[in-house]
Amino acid sequence: MTKRVVEHLLAIVVVGAVFGVLIARMHEEESARRTALDPAVQEALRLPFLDFGDPLDRALFRETLDALAPHHRSRHNSLLQKIAEVRREQFTTEAYKTGAEERGITSVKLLRVGAMYLQFIAIYVLVMAITVYASETLGVYRFVRMKQKKSSSLTRCLEVVRDVRLPHARRVVEAARHLALAIAKGLLSMVLFSPAYVIAYSFKTRFDTDSVVFMVVLGVLSNGLLITYAHKFTTFLVAESRKGYVETALVKNLFHSYAARIPDGIPLVAMVRLRKRFPGHVFHHIYLNAHHQYLPALKEHASLLISGLVIIEMALNIQGHLSYEMLKNILYRQYDVVLLIAFGMYLLVKGTEVTVDLMMEREARRLENRASMGGNDR
Amino acid sequence: MKAAPVWQRKDTLWLAVWIGGLTVLGLWDVAFLNRPALLRLASASWNTAIIGCAVVVCAFVFGWSSALALHALDHAGRRWGYFVVTFFLNLIRSVPQVVGILLGYVVLTLLIREEMVGSQTTQLMAIALVISIFVFLEVTDLILERIRYFRKLDFFDAMLVSGVRESRIINLDILLRNSRAHLVHKAIQLFGSSVFLLCSVDFIVSVGLSTDVSLANFPPTLGGLLATMDSKQDILAISTVLTDPLSAPRLLLEHLQGISTAFTIVFTLLCVFRMSSAFVARRRLE
Repeated sequence: MTKRVVEHLLAIVVVGAVFGVLIARMHEEESARRTALDPAVQEALRLPFLDFGDPLDRALFRETLDALAPHHRSRHNSLLQKIAEVRREQFTTEAYKTGAEERGITSVKLLRVGAMYLQFIAIYVLVMAITVYASETLGVYRFVRMKQKKSSSLTRCLEVVRDVRLPHARRVVEAARHLALAIAKGLLSMVLFSPAYVIAYSFKTRFDTDSVVFMVVLGVLSNGLLITYAHKFTTFLVAESRKGYVETALVKNLFHSYAARIPDGIPLVAMVRLRKRFPGHVFHHIYLNAHHQYLPALKEHASLLISGLVIIEMALNIQGHLSYEMLKNILYRQYDVVLLIAFGMYLLVKGTEVTVDLMMEREARRLENRASMGGNDR
Repeated sequence: MKAAPVWQRKDTLWLAVWIGGLTVLGLWDVAFLNRPALLRLASASWNTAIIGCAVVVCAFVFGWSSALALHALDHAGRRWGYFVVTFFLNLIRSVPQVVGILLGYVVLTLLIREEMVGSQTTQLMAIALVISIFVFLEVTDLILERIRYFRKLDFFDAMLVSGVRESRIINLDILLRNSRAHLVHKAIQLFGSSVFLLCSVDFIVSVGLSTDVSLANFPPTLGGLLATMDSKQDILAISTVLTDPLSAPRLLLEHLQGISTAFTIVFTLLCVFRMSSAFVARRRLE
């Protein structure tokens, strides 16, 4: 474990150093670009009582210079021309269009971006917790339904239509009910696979800083995240249920019915519980082992989740959020700030990786101890 | 064991549903969508499909090469080389895909401005290349896992002592002959993720960076088309159906550009996922 933590730390140090060098270099280039301005132009532009946009002020400035140094009229012309060029550049070049903000990484900007970063982490942790819980619950539900051999609503609808034993009126009602259920499930599937911006623009045209709840809901439901990881968890459960120890457990008379309404079965309440436990049932062991295998997938989940949140914040232009700030800085070519935010996101992914490694280590130790004491979850 | 007939294979069924659904949508659009919008939609769909396929090819080339390189370095005992390659691969892994691709787009824009990337085909391939850099690790991981699995079996050593070259065993016997299903599954998955990433980044670029990374620089894709004002207004009309269900038919006649674009993206993602899951279940790849 120590080796893995050292690897992570080394990666953070090296990447941090690379980002640091790049940021410092961009900062220097920016300063050099600014100091490359003619000192005379800089000095003239600093005069608070002159407005170089006003022709009267320009004429007054020129006459004053001519009066002070009458032999350098051409130099004065050239200075005024340079001032006009710099002003034009300030009005037209995108690089200057950052409002009243100073360019580069300043302490004010660092504080503002830091606050946005903390907000991003809070949203990330919340969405992560909800998606992990929801994908496990959905995965368990799908697996149990599979074991209950329940057919899909569309198949049920067709079965009801073909069932001539049922009275006609009841057949129509039942078929309509199953068809409506099938359509609702189809629409829900479409929502779960929709990219966030498709769902979002279906409901709203403008997104503000108060859209945090909306963002969390979108983060959980959109971009296919929930459905992908629910499916992954079901796959782990299916693979686990095919292993030999399950057969052994059945021979040893562990409960193995997946019916919902019998005492030894799997009730819905147990499936939706935060801490899922199925005592005495073979599924308890299947679930624990699948959960153990699911832990490494959280690393991949973290990266996808961050991508999803970035897409939501950028595509919906949610001002005052980290990804929107990043987008704005790409637009104004302040790449040092962009790199700083990208490094922040890298740190978040690395932080998740370290946490997952620690969780896996703890889980492995717990299983080993249990094995040495005679009990075995497997 | 006798293989199931084609119509009973769920993955093939979903492929048919996908092609059938898009064909029906295409016919509907030909009948009711105005010609300029139809041409834009056709061009965007075609470009998206081309980039998706190109991403799969590039990701396989990168993934295959990096996996073989890692395997060779590991078995030659070159720990430093192995460490350096793993470090860089892990670095790519830790950068959120969309952020990496967005930065790649900025570089691409600079190259387009310098006229280093000129024709539309070159631009499509360059976009595919950028996306594949951030998805190829899935192929690397899969290939390494397959090699690791087969190395434990007797047949690997048996073939080695029979004088078969290790590269031939890995490339031909392990990957091409005994891992084809895994590779096909990965290709389906990659196509889905590349369509998702491409559409998302194009949407972001069109909405948020329109003055810097102008869409005029890049070939049109479904994400870019969805970001146009017309399409966004079309999608917004969906919410009116919730309050006024009777207005639903109008969606399919008056707001067709945005609805068709959004439907193509979502329906493709859904069908690709279903195809991939059904393929895993049929070939028992869990």
